[in-house]
Amino acid sequence: MPNALYLIVAALAASFVLGLLSPKRCGIAYAITLVTLAFMAWVSAGWLWAFVVGGAQPVEILTAGALPPYAINLRMGRAEAAMTLLINLTGLLSALYLKESLFKLGHRGMAVLLVAIMAFCGIVLTRDLFNLFVFFELAAISTAGLILLSEDDRALSAGFKYLIVSQFVSTFLLIGILFAYHATGTLNIDTMATSARLLQVGAQGFTLAFFLMFIALVTELKPFPANGWALDIYESAHPAYSAIFSAAAATASLYAVDKLLLIGGASWYPMASGIGILTFLAANLFALPQSNDRRLLGYSSVAQIGLILVVLGQRDLLGESTSFIAIGLLVSHAVAKAGLYWLSGLVQKRNLIDWAALRGHPFLVFAFITFVAMLTSLPPFPGFYAKWELVRMLAGGGRLALLALILVGALIEAGYLFRWFGYILKREPPTEAVSGEVHKLVPVFVAVLAGWALGYLWGDLSGTGRHNLLLALPLVFAVGFLLLDWLPAWVKNTLAITGMVAFFFLTYTEYDPLRLIFALIFLIGGAITLLASYDAHGRRIGFYPAAMLMVAGMVMLVRAKDSFEFFAAWELLTIGSYFLILRGKHSEPHALSYLLFSLGGAFLILAGFAIAAQGVAPFPISALGQVAPSLAPWVFVLLATGFMTKTAAIGLHIWLPGAHAEAETDVSPMVSGILLKAGLFGLFVLLMTMGKQQLYGIELTHVLLWIAAFTALLGNLMAVFQEDAKRLLAYSSIGQMGYALFGLALMNHLGWLMALMFVINHYIYKSMLFLSVGGVAKRTGTREMYRMGGLIRLMPLSFIAVLIGIIAVSGVPPLSGFGGRWIFYNAILASDYRMPMVIIFLAGPVAFLYLFRLIHSIFLGQLKDELRRVKEAPFWIVLPQMLYVGLLLAFALVPGLVLRRVDSYLNLFFPEGGLHWEGFEITSDYGYWNPVAIMIVVAVIFVSLFAWLLFVNRRAQKVKQFNIVFSAERPYRPETTHFAWNFFAPYRKALGFLVQPYATNFWGTLTDILHTAGDLARRLYDGNGQSYAFHFLVFVVVVFGMGL
Amino acid sequence: MQFDWMKIPYSLLTLFIVVNFGMILTAFIAKIAARVGRRNGIRIWQNYADLIKSYGSRSSITHGAMFYLAPVFRLTGGVGLLLFVPTIYGSSMFSNLSFAGDLILALYFVFFGTLGMALGAAESGHPHAAIGVSRGLSQVTTSELPLALAVYSVALQYHTLSVTAIVAAQQGGFEHWTLFTNPLAVAAAMLAFLGSMMRPPFDVVLAPQEIPIGPPTEYHSSYLALMQTNRAIYPIAKIVVYMNLFFGGAGNWPVFFLKVFLIYMVSVFVGVVFPRFRVEQSIRWFLIWAVPLGILSIMLV
Amino acid sequence: MMIHLAMATGFLLILIGFYGALSNRNLLRMIVAFTIADSGVNLVIVAIGYMPGRTAPILDATVKAGDAAARVIDPVPQALVLTAIVIGVGVTALMLAYAYKLYEKKRSLDIAKFTELRG
Repeated sequence: MPNALYLIVAALAASFVLGLLSPKRCGIAYAITLVTLAFMAWVSAGWLWAFVVGGAQPVEILTAGALPPYAINLRMGRAEAAMTLLINLTGLLSALYLKESLFKLGHRGMAVLLVAIMAFCGIVLTRDLFNLFVFFELAAISTAGLILLSEDDRALSAGFKYLIVSQFVSTFLLIGILFAYHATGTLNIDTMATSARLLQVGAQGFTLAFFLMFIALVTELKPFPANGWALDIYESAHPAYSAIFSAAAATASLYAVDKLLLIGGASWYPMASGIGILTFLAANLFALPQSNDRRLLGYSSVAQIGLILVVLGQRDLLGESTSFIAIGLLVSHAVAKAGLYWLSGLVQKRNLIDWAALRGHPFLVFAFITFVAMLTSLPPFPGFYAKWELVRMLAGGGRLALLALILVGALIEAGYLFRWFGYILKREPPTEAVSGEVHKLVPVFVAVLAGWALGYLWGDLSGTGRHNLLLALPLVFAVGFLLLDWLPAWVKNTLAITGMVAFFFLTYTEYDPLRLIFALIFLIGGAITLLASYDAHGRRIGFYPAAMLMVAGMVMLVRAKDSFEFFAAWELLTIGSYFLILRGKHSEPHALSYLLFSLGGAFLILAGFAIAAQGVAPFPISALGQVAPSLAPWVFVLLATGFMTKTAAIGLHIWLPGAHAEAETDVSPMVSGILLKAGLFGLFVLLMTMGKQQLYGIELTHVLLWIAAFTALLGNLMAVFQEDAKRLLAYSSIGQMGYALFGLALMNHLGWLMALMFVINHYIYKSMLFLSVGGVAKRTGTREMYRMGGLIRLMPLSFIAVLIGIIAVSGVPPLSGFGGRWIFYNAILASDYRMPMVIIFLAGPVAFLYLFRLIHSIFLGQLKDELRRVKEAPFWIVLPQMLYVGLLLAFALVPGLVLRRVDSYLNLFFPEGGLHWEGFEITSDYGYWNPVAIMIVVAVIFVSLFAWLLFVNRRAQKVKQFNIVFSAERPYRPETTHFAWNFFAPYRKALGFLVQPYATNFWGTLTDILHTAGDLARRLYDGNGQSYAFHFLVFVVVVFGMGL
Repeated sequence: MQFDWMKIPYSLLTLFIVVNFGMILTAFIAKIAARVGRRNGIRIWQNYADLIKSYGSRSSITHGAMFYLAPVFRLTGGVGLLLFVPTIYGSSMFSNLSFAGDLILALYFVFFGTLGMALGAAESGHPHAAIGVSRGLSQVTTSELPLALAVYSVALQYHTLSVTAIVAAQQGGFEHWTLFTNPLAVAAAMLAFLGSMMRPPFDVVLAPQEIPIGPPTEYHSSYLALMQTNRAIYPIAKIVVYMNLFFGGAGNWPVFFLKVFLIYMVSVFVGVVFPRFRVEQSIRWFLIWAVPLGILSIMLV
Repeated sequence: MMIHLAMATGFLLILIGFYGALSNRNLLRMIVAFTIADSGVNLVIVAIGYMPGRTAPILDATVKAGDAAARVIDPVPQALVLTAIVIGVGVTALMLAYAYKLYEKKRSLDIAKFTELRG
């Protein structure tokens, strides 16, 4: 193993040699630089390998022939190896990336780069305070030197601002170090930590000295508000420098602060946490209104480092896990931020919107989303495991306020990062193409690989291998499609369908009857819906990884045994569906609001699980039932709210209409018919384990009942007033989910059975309706219903699907919707509550309004001239609809096939009030129902009367479209004859006040306030170097005041 | 499953009686209404004449499949509603096909004919038809609400959804009728009844003066015949439900005729006195006057 | 007494330097102010290491290696101050280079003119 000192020696030697070279020998100089950096990376990697695989012990590196504290010593341990590797790799890749710039700058520039990297390594390795100071100064000088050599003029002023602040910082640091030395008699960090323990009482002088050191080093982490200079550098420096600055420098500084906290001890932890969380929140808030990509990344960097500082400050609680969490967040941040800065060098213009240039390059888009997912701590990346651990332990230790602040900040961060992703996929690409030089692509490529590898590694480190998400078969299957994306769509579609069906048949014995239904819908249902995707041509890049990610998430959700698996699955299905929804032509804002609501909900679920677990890991889902009574209601509220975000309960529903309506034709049925069930599954699980909970004497399921009733009513009412067919269906889903939630909240046997019936029915008819309407929209080129009309003759199969669909939705016998209503009535009779029924009764008939409108405005009435040549929807879109028609009829005739087993399974929870199944007759405690008899009776009457009409009316003549008379005129223009627009005008007059967009306004105002706050507050950074110095001093004074 | 095939001829017998009763009853009521307006009114067998005339009509056109099927839907709805509910209490002969389902089936089957009719009318492409449907659907959302609440209240009261069981519980004298044991529910339901009988003040759906008879406007000849048959059956089928739920049912045909007539007359009395509401007016009226009664009834039961 | 005076002077210099850096908008004046602060820091460091009645930490004929520990002042701050001075010079040089380049760019030495990066 090479001595770790080589990290420093090699860099110094190489820069010395570089200085001697003739300026013309740029090629050789560059080669020396790369080789040196590669060598340094190799040294670090070798050590890391030795520690991780070889089980080596940390090594002290002595200098000057004396033992510490009489001489400087450095240490190479596992953390040091990892961090120097990170620093050196960033340096190496940046150097590669900087090829042209370095050639232009010549050998001196390369030497400065080497010194900078060396200084960062030194900061990590050294155990001596003064040495630390020296390395920091070296880092500052070399960083400023690098900036001085930048091409951007503006970088000059940024560098000068940096130097001003670093002058202040170094003054503080130096005085602090010397006074600390004076008080303890040593400069060695470890020795000082020991003697500081002994000094604790009454050592005012030492405390002050420590404060000076602490504030100086923390300032290197760019805390709010003392960070204006850093942002200017991020914005103006060459992106490869910014990558180093963000990834390597931050890593080094963080480790320095960590070492310093060793001296300060636990009493300084709250200070670190406080500064960290304030920085995290403020930086994320300020990032919100940014439009410059690099400045935004700068804010994001500042925020991430703040978060890691919080983790360091929570060491008293996190203990052993601190490094797992902190390093997990750190590597996520470093890899992602370096990668993003490198990417930003490929994009020619600096506005976020200009990143749309990436769109033509699937790999770069993939790289971008990998980095964004890493930053936002999504699975399967290291940050996800770290976030999970952090939240689990914070909740276990009762630090809920901090937990809440972290989650709020993380949500804001996800907001601006994913908004940016939306720009990339949806905005008009600029004329300037993306630079495609290989040496610039390689670093990005390495960063992507590193991200996934680290994800695997952190999964492995997080205790038992079972938790490694990258080993979960469904996820592997989904990720595999990334590699297969070059195949034509139909091949991938076949693969996907086969995979889903096969997985179901391999595992179907493992589910209980309830989970079996959900697994059926997710896998087999998903496969049927995917049939429609055969209609797509070409390669359909990105569709299958996203769709399979969503399916994988749903499958893993059903199979989850403990809270970790459940939450991971939840996040996976959220991201997958987000990508799917984002594919729609105009879905950019809707996909974003979907993602934000979903992530917000996910965070609530995360917090709920963490509070429930009280630090226990793994925490089985079934243990939710044994949560302490003082916590249980809160856990219930968090989890229920989280799940209700997914089912779009009223108030949290505003994302749904846009997301479902703007999605592609075959995506809408997936996200509506299938995905919504994930939320219901969550609620099922919640209620099965926790049952009824009371908070301040209020029965929470009673509250759910009210929410559900209003969701059903308002969802239906809003659907009535839509002109857009897909939006109408989307609002209808809100209402239907309200019904299902209502059934669940009834907390009795039949209520749950009814909810399940809605799960099945809604899957079938909503998938079918979305496909029919999607097919119609595809053919007519519009979704506005009043622009259609009279399509029944041209698209008869679509019409039949819609007809069957609306009969089923409305609950009219003899189709399966009626079964749902029948169970509903029986369920409410057994319930303790009566008042919420009033609302839900009102909601029922409202469904007729929008359903009639749907079928009338599209298929009946007057055919428009421009649509006379419209053809039936494509075969592959019609085929699944016909399958659904068959399914619906089968389910209407013999619901027992599916429901009977669940009915007896529900006896475990509610032994009373089940159904009796005798032959085809179904009996409850109150009434009876025989679906087959109903079907036969209705069919016989109908057929007899039809035959009679055919007989007496056999001479009926088919007439043309305008063969009607009204107001004594024969109409000739379909536009003025087709009564469709604003179809329910009188209804709006009567009840329109109920559908004012209160929720939309509320959430809109909230985001506006956040934006405005960020926009106002960022004026703090007025660009003047003296103001930044002043901010620093204010920061010092405030922290000092708080510290006392 | 054992099916008693004799139910078929018995059901047909019920149907036969009700059709004829309905024909005469509606004519009779039209006559009463005319007399209120100091007119002579139609003859008592006018409905039969109309029916024959419709069947005999020589011109017959169709606007398409749904248009063709709508009268079938409509009449199936009426006949089905009638047959899913036992007509005469205690008589297995006239219990019809009620084995197929309970009260909920009857309530939801009401919509079968309405929906089919609305679809067929819409296919005719006639704007008046669509306007009528829009009005009708709007009105029904609130006019059905008091009935739903009343049914819920009654089901809670008797702990059953079986119509036969509900009637059985009201036997033994008129003081056991729901009318007297749960008057609020009956009051709410009767207000809903007004809304569903297509008589003033709630007849804006058909509104003969502005959108000539609304949804059925394009129907003629044998289509119209089927719908006329339904007009005879459907009100009675509906009244049978009300009679069974609230007025103790009927043990034999004379009682049946009497009760149906009297219940029908409620809507007639109101209808000849009040002018027509606009849609939003009737929606508000139901929400303000009828729904609170229903809510009270489910709270107090 | 001497120590306190030196230390007070050092801190005073630091404060003067900071005040100067914050109150002067001219880049060169700011740099001068920082050098004043640097001198103050160095003075403070030396003062910390000073012990009354001892001699400089130089081993020569008068101070033998054997009893040096009891006779000389703390050598560490003395050594450190040398490093600090070197670093200070480096930083000052760099700042001057910056000032030069900034002047080249805008023909101005006013710090308030270089605010194109902000918010």
